[in-house]
Amino acid sequence: MKADQTVTLNLPATADYVDIVRLNLYGIASKMGFSYEDIEDMKVAVSEACNNSVLYAYGQEGGLVEVIFGVNGEELTITVKDEGVSFALPQDTSDATTLHDKELHDVEIGGLGFYLMQALMDEVSVSSESGKGTQVILTKRLTRSEEKV
Amino acid sequence: MTTNKNDKFNAKTVSEEGKNVVYLSGELDLSVAPDFRLVMEPLVGDSDADLTINLKELKYIDSTGIGILLSILKARHSMNASFSVEEVPPQIQKLFDMTGIAKFFEPQENSQ
Repeated sequence: MKADQTVTLNLPATADYVDIVRLNLYGIASKMGFSYEDIEDMKVAVSEACNNSVLYAYGQEGGLVEVIFGVNGEELTITVKDEGVSFALPQDTSDATTLHDKELHDVEIGGLGFYLMQALMDEVSVSSESGKGTQVILTKRLTRSEEKV
Repeated sequence: MTTNKNDKFNAKTVSEEGKNVVYLSGELDLSVAPDFRLVMEPLVGDSDADLTINLKELKYIDSTGIGILLSILKARHSMNASFSVEEVPPQIQKLFDMTGIAKFFEPQENSQ
């Protein structure tokens, strides 16, 4: 694949379409030569970004989510954009928590999605502007030593 | 919406005396979370029976699915009733380990 090509999806911001994003991701990432494990990691991270838009961005009103796959020889950049009300970001996304230090009765369920995005991608950037929605940019670099799909 | 027969989420319950096993298959994500909750609700409330979820055919889980497992863990724990997962595929075990939910599951001999 040549450098700097993009594939853009515009989807209704409902849970029913998140699997379409995963299917497209699979196609693009396997074409680029990502390993099975890297693709599985990206599937989880991208779905979490889409879930956030579906759950928090638009409330009851039907909106759109735009997913842009940026193919650049050595890395895949996935941008997930919505134009809804921004969801509540952790103050500092490095605070996104896991359950490792917690007892069962202290556990809260929110925040795992952000943690997974950060743990599974090489880079994650989240920008959010009041009234203009949220943009999550996920980047994964191609490592050539691993087994290909 | 179904995009691929193999990926469609399904939960099949096998009840024996004193034991309920739920076999999950396909992709457990936000879109099927309400279905999964509905299947689990009566089983979670049945404190006389052991509860196990078999994940052998589960292809994918997101944080919504992990969140539901966590709420089941909490509910069963508060009722002093058992809850375990078995035959966890490596990719899903990795997410359990990363998020930290793994430590709350009782050890299973036949996990991969």
